Formats: sequence, structure tokens, C-alpha cells
Amino acid sequence: MIEPSPRTLTLELPPDVAFLPTAASAAENAAQVYGLDQGGALKLALAVEEFHAYLCRHGDPAEPLRLSLTSGGTFVRASFRLRASEVSLRALNFAASVSLDDGGDDHCELGLLVAARTTDRCSLESLGAGAYLLQAEVDRAYPEEEPLRAPHRLSEPVSIVEASNDADNHGQSPAGLLRHAALLAAGRYPARACPSSFSRPTRFADMVASGQYHALLAADGAGRPAGLICWRGSGPRAVVFSGPYVFDDGEDRTLAKETARLLTERFLSRVARTEALCAFSERATADVPQGWFERLGQLTLHGGGAAEVQPALFRHLREDVGGAVWAHPDLVPFLEDAYDRLAFSRDILKAVPHAGGAGPGMPKHSLLATALDRRRGLALLRPLLDGQDFAANLAAHVAELAAQKSASGCPPDILLHLDLSEPWQAARHAEAAACGFAPRLILPHAGASDLLVCQHVPADR
Amino acid sequence: MSLPIAELVPPHIRAFEAYVPSRPDPELMRVYKVDHLHRLNNNENALGPPPAARRVIEAFESPRSAIYPSGDSFFLRKTLAERFGKDPDRFLVGNGSCEVITSVIKAFCDKGDNIVTADKTFAVYEWVAEFSGFEARLVPLLDYAFDPAGMLAAMDARTKILFVCNPNNPTGKWWNRETMERFLAGVDGRAIVVLDEAYCEYVDDPDFPDGMELMERHPNVVVFRTFSKMYALAGLRVGYVCGQKDVIEYVRRTHIVYSVNTLGQPAATAALSDDAEHIAATRRMVAEAKELLLPAFDAMGLTHVEGAGNFVMVQTPVSDSLVYRQIMRQGVMVRTMTGFRFPNWIRVSLTQPPAMRDFLTAFTKVVAQARQDGSA
Repeated sequence: MIEPSPRTLTLELPPDVAFLPTAASAAENAAQVYGLDQGGALKLALAVEEFHAYLCRHGDPAEPLRLSLTSGGTFVRASFRLRASEVSLRALNFAASVSLDDGGDDHCELGLLVAARTTDRCSLESLGAGAYLLQAEVDRAYPEEEPLRAPHRLSEPVSIVEASNDADNHGQSPAGLLRHAALLAAGRYPARACPSSFSRPTRFADMVASGQYHALLAADGAGRPAGLICWRGSGPRAVVFSGPYVFDDGEDRTLAKETARLLTERFLSRVARTEALCAFSERATADVPQGWFERLGQLTLHGGGAAEVQPALFRHLREDVGGAVWAHPDLVPFLEDAYDRLAFSRDILKAVPHAGGAGPGMPKHSLLATALDRRRGLALLRPLLDGQDFAANLAAHVAELAAQKSASGCPPDILLHLDLSEPWQAARHAEAAACGFAPRLILPHAGASDLLVCQHVPADR
Repeated sequence: MSLPIAELVPPHIRAFEAYVPSRPDPELMRVYKVDHLHRLNNNENALGPPPAARRVIEAFESPRSAIYPSGDSFFLRKTLAERFGKDPDRFLVGNGSCEVITSVIKAFCDKGDNIVTADKTFAVYEWVAEFSGFEARLVPLLDYAFDPAGMLAAMDARTKILFVCNPNNPTGKWWNRETMERFLAGVDGRAIVVLDEAYCEYVDDPDFPDGMELMERHPNVVVFRTFSKMYALAGLRVGYVCGQKDVIEYVRRTHIVYSVNTLGQPAATAALSDDAEHIAATRRMVAEAKELLLPAFDAMGLTHVEGAGNFVMVQTPVSDSLVYRQIMRQGVMVRTMTGFRFPNWIRVSLTQPPAMRDFLTAFTKVVAQARQDGSA
């Protein structure tokens, strides 16, 4: 056993089903130590059992399995590191369907599918060079609280609450202020503009304490919460922010505007000397001050009920040195126009459709990662592995997602991200277009290079 | 399965962001599709080196590149000693001042120690401390200048070095003699005080405190200077540190020898021999550039900050990185200030009139467009 950090338990296990109970009981025990209740711990143990069984069956018999169990503060994560060259990961597709007719492999894949759907999040991340990380996460349970809607009149001057400031503000600790601010934001902004944890403010505060989120709070002259902005890492080179949320309800918006400017400026100063190259809006509010971000474009979303225009805001944290992207020939005019409008310098390289070869060299099954946020009514698809069934797999995902219901009762909006650093993904634009996806905007540096965001346009819209 | 490489790396290195230098000019020109590039991003001196240094560079014979340089910049230290009336052993020369910053931090900091500096200043003090595993305590600027009281308040028993960039890059603000003396009295010899005087030759004010003189009364004072800015030898990378002999003796133990090249040493030595007219001409160029730029910023209604040094900061009505990309397309390169924790500001090096005019043309167009688009 290796223990790289106090909050991670790592085991190396022989790829032998005889060790299934060892893996499962380690997961259950770690989950409880890390704060999950019995039900949550069993869910994680089940996922580990299924992952382990699958990898014993399909992995390299000479390669030990490496299982890490990590406390994320508000969740517990089990992850297996693996090489996918010999492994079919088809069952991790959201839309994967399995035949139960002939037993054999499909039973095992069904287990993987069960694991994917019973945990809170299940993902497959590419580590490059054929290595993958298969992960399942189960969240700790937190109580929901009522948003605060009562009018809030604040007094000058507004200032940022420094993390090192342990002194009480209006009788509250910084963690207490965070919870208070989350409820104030939840009471003033539409649900789509707030992280879901705002309605479970203890969870939000724990997410900040554990580093899942970073947050900046502003307080008024009397130490009351005046505003909040929060952000998290998104991939190795970007941060995504939500907010700014401002709480002064006075008719004169001067104090609210000043709070938003202060939060935005300090947020950018905080992330400026980190590994992040750029900042994107995840949930931009109408209070984002003018002139601080560039508008990459916008998405019109319907999944929340009424049509809503969501601007995509961006800014570099460093100077852009240019770069290269791959593009399907049909996509070149869109990219040229977008890059010119945004003053980005890019070499656009032609991605030959099926450059990887559609023949025997190409795996039979493709793999798409799916994230579905029912509360926001938003689904996001990301291709992870190319395969001969890419077009059919994408269509199956769209059909499966279209049948889902978001919190509003409407089917979710469906976005597809294509990483333009990958020729094979760029080349799949044609299949995406045939499936009803239209290119909407470019997210610079959001992938290994830029990401193309495509939105599914249902035939009846 | 082998251990993942990341697990072999200490946490402070894993968390550290590697500095990414800008690409070479020809590549930037290709990428931005321009046939010329005004470099207004690194505070280089567009006049080039002083004449004597230029002659040394032009006379360099290629066979000399086969010979190792003096390992401790022997003749350059001797010249510096004569110039400042000090023992040559009180000088250490490095491959630019970044190297001597590293040497000083290595010499004085141990596990659990910290350094104190400003939040919005030359980033290398903070970077070197952090990637060496030491805490960098960052004190907010006060009216764009280092805050002496704040720095003293940030000190504790584990504070080993206080870095004061005087004049400060990027704001150009500097402490006068009285402020400096009060600060040094407050430190009271408890820690090393580094005065980074990279831009001191641009200051023409008798109230500017000369670190070379201060260290004689305050033995904990160490001074950094460079040949990259006023002396226009940035491409040869020569900087130095000067302090009391016992202080420098400790720094020498951590300092890399042979790091200053065979051309840089004599060029820097020569630069000191005829710098008076060069310094005067450079100061005139900087003053003229300010006369051109500052009224134009005022006319555009933009806030600007300037002081000593061959640069000025101006607040941009849109993202500084957008301004960078837009004016790069017109062959002008400036420094975005988000990385200095001044989001929506750019820093512009003050150089010769044609470059300044081209910058103004490009910048004015960008500002006007932003206002027309309503994005400002």
C-alpha cells in the first residue's frame, strides 16, 4: 500500500477476481472513513466491485490493478488506472445498450453500466498514450435549505473578505458568510445561474474548504455578505467561474456594480499567476461588469423551460501565442470567421475524415462521455474514443438524452464538444452535423487546444 | 505498473506554474501575419548598448567561443568595484538578475522560512520562493507603491528576505530616502533587505535612495542591478548582486559559476566605461515618449500610471489580452498586466517616436472600436 497523501488510500491488486472482496471492502471502509453514510459507501463499493471484475476479465493479466480511494471533501472517489488498448469500454457510454441473450461479456458490461448509473458521477478520463482513468464518485448527503429572498440593503464601503481574516463578520465566520452568501444568491438569481450546491450551502462551504471550488466574498461596511464569485479548474489550463452574485437590493445600483467590479478584479488577480491560461463563464450573471471579458458567442438554451440566451464569456490570463487546430473542410469557413472576429491567430489544419482509418485498425466501438445536469437542463457530450460506430453511437446518445427530462420537465439541451487538437475529433464534424449538431462557438485553450461547441438542433425547433 | 511520475514530484513543484516565455519574433510575426514588430513588452532599450559595449560585441572573434568564460566574472567585478568604491569580492555576477535572486533565496531560506514582497511587482521573487518551497508573503501595493508598513507587519521570526523593487516594475513608483530609512529602521537588521534597482539609472532625482550607499550603514541591505535595461545588454544576460562581504560570501556558496558568457562579461565591463551620454540620451528618449503618450491617454480618458523607468501602464477599456491580440495584428507588442495582478491594464515600453506613434495609432483604433461595440 502506498499513501501519497493522507486523504488517499491506494491499493495494488492482482487482476484476479479472488480479490474482489478486498477491493470492495476497502472501498466501503474508506468511504465511511471519508464521511459517506452506509448507503453511499455501498454504492461506491458496488462500483469498485464492478470495475474490478471488468478489468480482471479484460485487462492485461500481468499488470496489477491500481485502485485509489480519495476523499474529495464533499464526495469520495474510486479510480482505476488502466490501459484501454485491449479493453472495450463501450458500457460506459450513456446510451450503451446490452444484449442479455447470450450471457458472456455482456453480463460484465452490464455491471459496468450499473456502476456508471448508480454512482453520482462516473467518468473515463484519457491520460494520453492509451492510459485511462476510470472513476466513480459518490457524494456526501447534505440538507437542502430555503433560499433567502428578503430585501437586503447594504452600507458602504464594500470590501473583499480575505481568507486569512478569521475575525467575525457580522457575527459570522468566513464559512458562515459563505453559506449565507450562497442562500442570498440562490434567492436572487435563477437556478440556472447558480451552482446546485447553493441550495445546500453547507455542501458549498465544504466544496470551498476542500478546494473543489474557490470563492471570493465581499462584505459591506457592517460585515454583511455583499457579493460572491466562485470558480473551479476545468482541465489543466482553464478556470470556469460562476457569478458575480451581488446582494444589494437598493434602487441605486452603484453599490452592486462596485461589488461586482471588485469581485471580478480580485478573482482575476487570484487566478492570474496560476497554471490557468484563461477564464470562462460557467454561469455568468447579468452583473458581470462590462469590459472585463470577451464575448465568444452565445447559446440559446431551452432545457430550463423558456428560451434563454446564455453568453459565453472568456478572457485570457496571459498573452496568446497563437496555435494550430484541426478542422473538417466543412468547418473551415466557420472557424476562419470566428477566429478573425475574436482576433485569434490560428493555423487551421485540414483533418481528413476518418484519418485514423475506418478499416480494421479502427476499434469497433466509439466512446462518448456524457454529463447530464437535470437541474440546468443541459447535457454535454465529449468524444473519448473513435470507433466504427461513431455516427450511430452519437445518434443513440442524442435519442437517449432527448428522452430524458430536466427539472423543468423539458428535454435537456444537448451540446457536443470537439477538441480541435485531435484530428479524429475534428474530422467527426460531418457525422455531428448529420446528427443535427450545429457549430456555435469556439472555446480557446479549453481542450488540448481549442474546443468547438456544437449544439443539437432538434428537427422541430 | 510503475509509479506515476507526478508522485515523485514534491507538492510545491506540482502546484507551480512553469513560466512560458513569448515565442521568437519571426514566429509571432508569422502567427499574427505582420511584416514588422515593435517590441514594447520587455522594457528593452531601443537605443542599443553604449558605444564601447557595441564595439566589444562587434569585435568578438568566434574562436573565443571555444574558451570557457571567467568563472566568476573577474574583470567585470573589478570594474564594478572601481565604479562603486568597494571590494570586488562584494559583487557576484549572474546570468541576469533572475539568477542572483535564486542564489540569495537559496542562501538564506530554510524549510519553514518566508519572504515578503508586494503582490503587484516583478514576479520572479515570488516564483523562486514558491518553487523552492518557501512561502511568499505578498503585501498589497498602496497607491501603486510598495507599502512599507504592510511589509513590516507581514514579517515574523521566519522572514528571511524582504524584496523591494525600487523603482517598482510595473508601476514605476519608488521610495524616497526618508521612506527607505524608516523602513530599514523598522526591519532593524532582522532580515535581509533586497533592493532590486533594475531601473535605478532611469531615476534623475536626488531624493532617490542609492542602495550602494545604504548598505554601508545597513549591513543587511543587498542590491540587485542589471545590464539588461539601461545598458541594453538583455540578450547577453548579465546582472549582479552587491552587499557586505560576509553576506555575499554566503550567497557565493549557492551561486552557479561560469554562468555569465564570454561576450557578456567584457560587453558589460565596457558599458560602464562610457555610459554618461548613453544614460542621458536614453532618459531624453523616455521623456519624449511620455510627452507623446500621456496626453493621448488623457484625451482618450484612460487612467495611466507612470514613474521612473522606461515604461508606462495604462488601463484598458476591454480585456488587456484582447488589446494585446488586436494590436499585435498591427505589428505592436505590449505586455498584458493580468499576470502582474493588474487585470485590464497594459504596460508599454517607452522607446523611439516611430514605435510610439505606431503604438498610439493601433491602440487608439482598438479603444475606439471597443467603445463603438459597446464592449467597453
